[in-house]
Amino acid sequence: MFEAVHVAPEGQSTLARVAATAADHGFEGLVVRNHGDRPAAPPPDELLDQSDVDLVAGVEIRAEDPSRASGFLGSHRPETTIVLVHGGDPAINAFAVRQEAVDVLAHPMAGDGDLNHVLVRQAAENGVRLEFDLSTAMRSVGNDRSRAIRKLRKLAELVEKFHVPYVVSGDPWSHLQLRSPRDLRSVAEAIGLAPAMVETGLAEWGRLAERNRDRMDESFIAPGVRKRPGDEP
Amino acid sequence: MKHLPKHLQPRYRYLAVALEAWPDTDVDRSSLETRLRRSARDLLGDVGVAATDLSIVRFDYADGRGSAIVRTRRESVTETRAAIACVSTLEGAPIGLYVAGISGTVRACSEKYIGERPEPVTERNVVYGSAERTAWCRDDRVDIRTDGAFLGATNLDLE
Repeated sequence: MFEAVHVAPEGQSTLARVAATAADHGFEGLVVRNHGDRPAAPPPDELLDQSDVDLVAGVEIRAEDPSRASGFLGSHRPETTIVLVHGGDPAINAFAVRQEAVDVLAHPMAGDGDLNHVLVRQAAENGVRLEFDLSTAMRSVGNDRSRAIRKLRKLAELVEKFHVPYVVSGDPWSHLQLRSPRDLRSVAEAIGLAPAMVETGLAEWGRLAERNRDRMDESFIAPGVRKRPGDEP
Repeated sequence: MKHLPKHLQPRYRYLAVALEAWPDTDVDRSSLETRLRRSARDLLGDVGVAATDLSIVRFDYADGRGSAIVRTRRESVTETRAAIACVSTLEGAPIGLYVAGISGTVRACSEKYIGERPEPVTERNVVYGSAERTAWCRDDRVDIRTDGAFLGATNLDLE
């Protein structure tokens, strides 16, 4: 199971520290999801060699409007394994679900964000994963939390009805905010989501990383089509 | 009052909880217990807190690392676990809680899931991001004091 994290300088811990804590908590891997304007500090080489967890390069594109988001998408896609779009704005949500190049629409229900049957269907067609972001449900109280939980439950109903792929994350910004898969499962159960969704959603990050690494491989042409070694370029 | 006969006594479960915080954060047993109850109330409501019947039976904490054993009713383990997971700050300071395991007795819980006391923290100067800073180190993990805050790092990040 994987978790997607913000690391220094955006978060309060370095990737190495979060990776050490993630290994203690039984995670198999981490996806770095720093926003595009505050990329993660380059990890030390030793970390990549000896880390107990798989480290996946990712980016969360944050833009004010779809046209700028489209520009960022073009520049990040070729070199980043997992590309997320910072959702929560109706225009950005609508943009992201139409883009095959987007892997994950992050926290689509945050703020003013919302989804309906049309957008969710488009997400399923284009293979855009919708994120269940448990951070507001875990780390806020009162009306904010109630609203977040209500929207997560709505998202769960839509996802189930239209068979949309999804990911789950606690969206930690430091090693102290990281929670283990079983703890996240309990939280999901307490707020009325199916606990099995958490396992599926955490594992989906790993599947996505594997698929995209394969696609970024030189021999890949299209799904099912590969260059053989020695073929003319 | 005479206590209940054994077969009528409530069944409890004991959750081993690992605590982590920045080295200058003070955590004591009563503030943590109050915080856990509040988290449970926010998440589960008054009825839910009553059902969990949670309390801290063991507590140990020093310089940013510690452990606690939380007792709860057997029927409410999941709810209690969720309430623990939802605690991210204690009196304004960030704190990390992690359920290491669950047992039916305090003794099994502490023997199985709560290890030795963590080694004491050492304060030294380190170089991070080409500047010298004060840091608190324990095994390979390092908490670096930056301008008014802390940065979680490991030995690998140091220059």
